[in-house]
Amino acid sequence: MAQFSQEFTPLPIEAIHDEAVARKAGGWRYVQTLAVNTEAGIDLVYSYMKDGLLENLVAKALPAGSAVPSVTDQFLAAFVFENEIHDLFGITFEGLAIDFGGNFYRVAQKEPMTIISPELKAAREKAAKVAAAKAAKEAAKADRAEKAGEAQAEFLAAHPEAKAAATGGRVFAPSDDEAVEAKLAGMDPEKVARVRAAIAAKAKKAAAAEQDAAKDAELEAKLAAMDPEKAAKVRAAMEAKAKKAAEAAAKEGE
Amino acid sequence: MGSFKLGGMTFGSLFKKPETVLYPVESKPAPAGLKGHIVNDVSLCILCGICQKTCPCHAITVEKKARTWAIDPFRCVQCGSCARACPKACLTMEPTYTPVATAEYVTTLEVPDQKAAAAE
Amino acid sequence: MGKATVIPFGPQHPVLPEPLHLDLVVEDETVIEAVPQIGFVHRGLEKLVETRDYNQFIYVAERICGICAMGHSLGYAETVESLMGVEVPKRAEYLRVIWHELSRVHSHLLWLGLAADAFGFESMFMHCWRLRERVLDIFEKTTGGRVILSVVKVGGVVRDIDDAMMAQVIATLDGIMDDYTKIMNTLLTDTSVKNRTVDVGYISHKDALALSMVGPFARASAVNYDVRSFGRGAYGDLADFRPILDDGGDCFARVKVRCLEVLQSIEIIKELAAKMPAGDIEVAVKGAPADGAQASNVLEQPRGECYYYARGNGTKNLERMRMRTPTSQNLAGMTSALAGCDLADVNMIILTIDPCISCTER
Repeated sequence: MAQFSQEFTPLPIEAIHDEAVARKAGGWRYVQTLAVNTEAGIDLVYSYMKDGLLENLVAKALPAGSAVPSVTDQFLAAFVFENEIHDLFGITFEGLAIDFGGNFYRVAQKEPMTIISPELKAAREKAAKVAAAKAAKEAAKADRAEKAGEAQAEFLAAHPEAKAAATGGRVFAPSDDEAVEAKLAGMDPEKVARVRAAIAAKAKKAAAAEQDAAKDAELEAKLAAMDPEKAAKVRAAMEAKAKKAAEAAAKEGE
Repeated sequence: MGSFKLGGMTFGSLFKKPETVLYPVESKPAPAGLKGHIVNDVSLCILCGICQKTCPCHAITVEKKARTWAIDPFRCVQCGSCARACPKACLTMEPTYTPVATAEYVTTLEVPDQKAAAAE
Repeated sequence: MGKATVIPFGPQHPVLPEPLHLDLVVEDETVIEAVPQIGFVHRGLEKLVETRDYNQFIYVAERICGICAMGHSLGYAETVESLMGVEVPKRAEYLRVIWHELSRVHSHLLWLGLAADAFGFESMFMHCWRLRERVLDIFEKTTGGRVILSVVKVGGVVRDIDDAMMAQVIATLDGIMDDYTKIMNTLLTDTSVKNRTVDVGYISHKDALALSMVGPFARASAVNYDVRSFGRGAYGDLADFRPILDDGGDCFARVKVRCLEVLQSIEIIKELAAKMPAGDIEVAVKGAPADGAQASNVLEQPRGECYYYARGNGTKNLERMRMRTPTSQNLAGMTSALAGCDLADVNMIILTIDPCISCTER
């Protein structure tokens, strides 16, 4: 019992007829011909089968209205598909054995499969925009990551006291760093020192906040592992403490 | 002349029960799961519109502002994909066909606001 | 030597299940050549992929033809599953094949009735369709629809057949065997049937291969090709599958091949029902086909090999869906068989390719 398998292989347009002759001589069975309307042109797919192997030969991007040699002299059964493609896609086949001259289907609009309706156009444009946006986002992310790495290395070399955050080297607003450096180069040296100090303080605060967040996450994990009742009690206690601390801070601020 | 080969079957059918039923005096009982028409239990409907998106024939119209759910039974092909897609299981396929009519119509249902009713 | 007249045949003719027009160039009751013309039911269904996503399109694919409805939904689902790399559970494969083989039984019974009607044997037509009603009742009980089943979806099937229902199905099939044997006996041994079908529309084995014919039309000329012998899906679990061949090459051989295929299908259904595995009937399919992905698939429908092609474009709508049906492949064979036949045999020859023109034109 032969096993079924399928392949897609490209086919140059000039070789369509020679391929048909070769396949017939080799004992291949003709399966079908189909056309696909793409943005680049019209693709023709010829299929042949032998011993369970279905080979689909794809001739890509024929310009609309082009002429292709017919394979009906080798395989008469192809006349149905070639007439259909002529009526629906507008490809002319030279040397058709039974040629209906465009009257096979007698459709109301010429070459209906090549007509792009407004909904289809809108859908394709939307899909293209989504794909372009995604690609741009990926490219920008890669770019930023590279720049961020460079900037962080530079900064750490200049400020050894600013520790990298506990979670492992996250930087803040790296794309502005180059601009900042440019500005600082032209500024007053006192001001420069103040600005750099401010940046360092910001880095420390960010690191502290990160550590706090990490602690909170740990606590949450512990609570989740604990008995639900106890967890509720602990949470209530924590909330009360936070409230008191907030009130105290407000009083101090006044 | 050959023999009358279908003779046995033809003679036997004189005495067997007929294959057809005397419709409309009697009718065949509809089997469970017959694809007849779609009904919506509005007490469960949340007007999410998933049925409208799934329908291959654009037979269902969901208006969130007006709180209506409408189906055109003559556009419907009884495929059942809306009933399967509904997250609240409020759509079911009843085993009776849409009756013959002289004019096409659209069945519109008002979906009551469950949250507002509960709050009252 | 008379002069040639052109007699138009169709598109509406009592013997045709679907509209087909032929211009018969006739000389003294002998047809010299026939020029086919189709296009009366071209609905442009392949263009609907642009507005229906791949889950909704299966309902369009089903409605390409009423006789081959199950076949088209199955072929489409298999092609999209191959495009997206989805594997269907075993039980779903078995159920699909059981419904497809039941579809083959109903289609061949329909055809046997039409073939009998083609040469005037109307009571045989009625008996064949009476038995076909029992098969349609099975469809109604198991799927909810008589002709358009809507039971296959991309990723599996929608309904299950439990053991009690399956036993009923087998009992119904056994119930028609008695009458079916009588019908088969009449069709294959009656002298009037033989007078109208033997040596009518002869196509030799060589010509059958040259004209790329498929299906029972080709198998009656001893072309050994049946997609089911590749053993994909549940067909691979059959103990022994051999395509039914006959070397008569004439209309009688084609009637015989289809009669025997009904018996073969009933045996397949019984075997698969006994071996049915337990498990899920569907698997969830998420996402969309990749941009530029292509897949092709072949399926043995009642009329022959049907070829499907799908191409994705990254969105939920397929870029292109193509169904090449067996009748479009067999039109060349029909045209060549009509050359040189008697005018009275035109009905029979056209019918022996089992023309499903709505499938051809979509």
